[in-house]
Amino acid sequence: MDISRELRERFGPAIVAEQETRDGIPTLWVAQDRFRQVLAYLKSGTDRPYAMLYDLTAIDERARTQRKGQPAADFTVVYHLLSFTRNHDVRVKVALAGAYPVTASITDLWPAANWYEREVWDMFGITFEGHPHLARILMPSTWEGHPLRKEHPARGTEMGPFRLPVEKQEREEEALLFHPEEWGLERHGEDTDFVFLNLGPQHPGTHGLLRIVLQLDGEVILDAVPDIGYHHRGAEKMAERQTWHTFIPYTDRIDYLGGVLNNLPYVLAVETLAGIEVPDRVKVIRVMMAELFRIASHLVWYGTFAQDVGQLTPVFLMFTDRERLFDIVEAITGGRMHPSWFRIGGVAQDLPRGWDGLVRDFLDYLPPRLKEYDKLVMGNPIFKARTQGIGAYTLEEAVEWGVTGPGLRACGLEWDFRKKRPYSGYEGFEFEVPTAQRGDCYDRAVVRVEEMRQSLRIIEQCLDNMPAGQYKADHPLTTPPRKERTMHDIETLIAHFLGVSWGPVIPAGEAFFGIEASKGNTGYYLISDGGIHAYRARIRAPSFPHIQMVPEISRGLMVPDLIAILGSVDFVLADVDR
Amino acid sequence: MPADYLPILFFAVVAVVLSAIAVLMPALFGPKRPTSVKLAPYESGKLPIGPARRRFSIQYYLYAVLFILFDVEIVFLFPWAVVFRDLAPRWLGLAEAAVFVLILLLGLAYVWKKGGLEWE
Amino acid sequence: MDWVADFWIPLIKAVVVVLVLLLGGAYMTWGERKICARFQVRYGPNRAGPFGILQPLADAVKAIFKEEIVPNHVDKIIYVMAPGISFAAVLITFAVIPFGPEVDLFGQRVGLWVGDIEVGLLFLLAIAALGSYGIVLGGWSSNNKYSLLGALRAAAQMISYELILGISLLAVVLLAGSLNLREIVDFQGTWPLLVLQPLGFLIFLIAILAESNRSPFDLPETENELVSGFMTEYGGIKFALYFIAEYTAMVVNSAIVVTIFLGGWKWPALISDLHPLAGVGLFLAKVLFVLFLYVWIRASIPRVRFDKFMRFSWKFMLPLAFVNLLATAAVVAFL
Repeated sequence: MDISRELRERFGPAIVAEQETRDGIPTLWVAQDRFRQVLAYLKSGTDRPYAMLYDLTAIDERARTQRKGQPAADFTVVYHLLSFTRNHDVRVKVALAGAYPVTASITDLWPAANWYEREVWDMFGITFEGHPHLARILMPSTWEGHPLRKEHPARGTEMGPFRLPVEKQEREEEALLFHPEEWGLERHGEDTDFVFLNLGPQHPGTHGLLRIVLQLDGEVILDAVPDIGYHHRGAEKMAERQTWHTFIPYTDRIDYLGGVLNNLPYVLAVETLAGIEVPDRVKVIRVMMAELFRIASHLVWYGTFAQDVGQLTPVFLMFTDRERLFDIVEAITGGRMHPSWFRIGGVAQDLPRGWDGLVRDFLDYLPPRLKEYDKLVMGNPIFKARTQGIGAYTLEEAVEWGVTGPGLRACGLEWDFRKKRPYSGYEGFEFEVPTAQRGDCYDRAVVRVEEMRQSLRIIEQCLDNMPAGQYKADHPLTTPPRKERTMHDIETLIAHFLGVSWGPVIPAGEAFFGIEASKGNTGYYLISDGGIHAYRARIRAPSFPHIQMVPEISRGLMVPDLIAILGSVDFVLADVDR
Repeated sequence: MPADYLPILFFAVVAVVLSAIAVLMPALFGPKRPTSVKLAPYESGKLPIGPARRRFSIQYYLYAVLFILFDVEIVFLFPWAVVFRDLAPRWLGLAEAAVFVLILLLGLAYVWKKGGLEWE
Repeated sequence: MDWVADFWIPLIKAVVVVLVLLLGGAYMTWGERKICARFQVRYGPNRAGPFGILQPLADAVKAIFKEEIVPNHVDKIIYVMAPGISFAAVLITFAVIPFGPEVDLFGQRVGLWVGDIEVGLLFLLAIAALGSYGIVLGGWSSNNKYSLLGALRAAAQMISYELILGISLLAVVLLAGSLNLREIVDFQGTWPLLVLQPLGFLIFLIAILAESNRSPFDLPETENELVSGFMTEYGGIKFALYFIAEYTAMVVNSAIVVTIFLGGWKWPALISDLHPLAGVGLFLAKVLFVLFLYVWIRASIPRVRFDKFMRFSWKFMLPLAFVNLLATAAVVAFL
């Protein structure tokens, strides 16, 4: 039965309204006093439940003009749930009134809600009653205001010049000092003193600016408290001041190893809002570039993971391979790590002459290398001893904590958006979705290594079957529009002029688009108020829930295991903090 | 003979003097611009949470205690090993040493069974 | 007292050997970087001089002229002394290793060794053990959590493997019937002890890697886990001293492996009989080979986990070493 009808029949007036969205995900407004029951029912009451809390975020509705029959709200909290059994999503919205509203926490329903609610508190100032530790998560604890509120300035120039006198620096440092008591952690055990250790932000094993405070007994991790936000740049806030078009380069830098894998969900979401259908050539070019970047990202992971367990050589070999891959990317896009090359309604340029030779060479080059790495890394007995049985989680835990991507597939669930919800023409490709069973560090590695081979298969199919045609859609909102049309009549000239100088005006509406990125599911939830900027852009980043889960799988293990786990999770701090 | 050790003494003196020079030399050459941040303990760039010196996990010390037991025993085996070829009959010397080693290994087995070698 | 034979020659030998070792350690850092680079599709140092050959000198000059930082929270005296202890201990270990036969130099009969003592092997073990003091004291005096963890690991690991080192050497002593390293080398005139003690050699090799904190057993340092372990708080020349101590230890340990198991300067006698210096060349070549082995292992193998490595030491290596000892004794007794 249709989920909105099911909920209406069961909860009656508690379902306040149903909203039309461009992405077709049922979006239900639920009364504030009943939404916890509705969510609980969705999680475990209904048959084929919506088991995963896929995303939790909020919208500051106070400046929004085009709400089209949505219930009155100052703020809206949005719960995005995913059902694997139905292959279906549902969105639950709760309207809140007041400048600093208070609502109920759902951390008892989903442990993964913990960080999401902290983020919403941090960004919007919405209080969640019943949350175990509602503290800022991305902003420093000394920050004044909540950045994603509409009254909070978006540009540095609106805030006065930044100064950092010594006293302020000391105050900020002092504020970052970890107090175990605040987190309910004991300083002393029965017969030992526990050591609290800052692992990071300046640490060779954390892959970037991540702090994990460890409660140690000897070298055994009793508890771990990740502290994120050191890489926070406010990408979601920037989306509200950049035009739809000029935000594309910012997406590259979310998962900075993923390149165009970040462009893709963004442009797909915008295209959904604008109703643009892209030509086949665009789809295949996008798939090819996305798969190249999946390999690039996995190669970095492969090398650094081996490095994390103390193997010095693989990382150099794999970075060398990645450089070769970037040579192709450079030939096609002009950029290497961050090509910002996808456009609303197409890609920036057509493929250059000779691209196929480069790709063909790489297809011949990489498989023997991968075979050698199997022997060098995956087959190494010490490597196995360091990773097998370490950091394992079950499929249930993975779903509970919002794990997606290779980390989910390592638990035996064959779930890949490219297969389950084909986008950009993936339905036309032949490839397998690798899975593994034990969900430990080694199995996550097995899945990724096999994914690289599958990506090569996809790229080969792109190469053999590249359709002819346009590299941009024939649509007025394609940005920038096709040049040759502009010289014919005044209408297209004006449209071109406005689209380039001002930015495309995307029709009002809401759309989410999630894709299978290299680290997991990356999704963009875009709200247009009928302007040249996003009214709200929510980036559902896979690394955020993955890092939240790290303490769960680290307790009782040792510091070296934690490093192995961090390597196997494959996160990028920019993707965690955005 | 004590005289055999004289060259080693020379060697040790040279080595120690060289090390001492190396350790003390930069005091003469390097610049000195200390700041409070430079002189703070390193804990991944953040203020340390509590002091480093605490009562620590016993496991490290267990190894140390075990080591001393075994090391002392092994010293007894060195003279035996040197004169082993001259023992008559050799099998008796072997048997004696075997008994000795067996006692040691029994001790090891005891610690093993008690979980003294496990890390928890 | 014969001043020339009993004073000047030993003193000159001491100075020369110390300087050669120092140079050896310094160039081992260069060698490792070069060889590692070749494994890793890189060039390694290639800016200071041809093939980067002056890199160790450049590094030394840089270390000397760096600002000396002695943090506020450390035990100053021990903190300053610790790297010196490490370095001195490594150097002194070499004192009993013969690197050639007796030769005639400037009309004097000179033995190509520093000291020739009856209990050479015991001396070796004793002084090698001193090196762990440098590391443990350095880590402890730093008063830093990473350093402390590194020091604790170092203490537990180095002593555990010292034990195994000792037992594996007992079998050698049993065969050679002497603790004197010169005599152990002489014993290997026809066959190196590697042939008689293959298992003992493997045990010894693993133990000496562990003892000198080399990859894959570089657990007191473990960049990925403990930042720099026991030397996290060290900079400038004191860091350089730890560093060069580690590399000099590699050279010295290789010399020990060569002397005890690979026939020292003597085997094969066919070559060492040609000319006294041929023996020295033989010794050097073997040492270089073992050093290459060190780097090869480092470039290839991931790091083990500390607790597993300790369990491995006590539950596997120690009984195995004893078995090897008794089996050797049994063979000697009944054959």
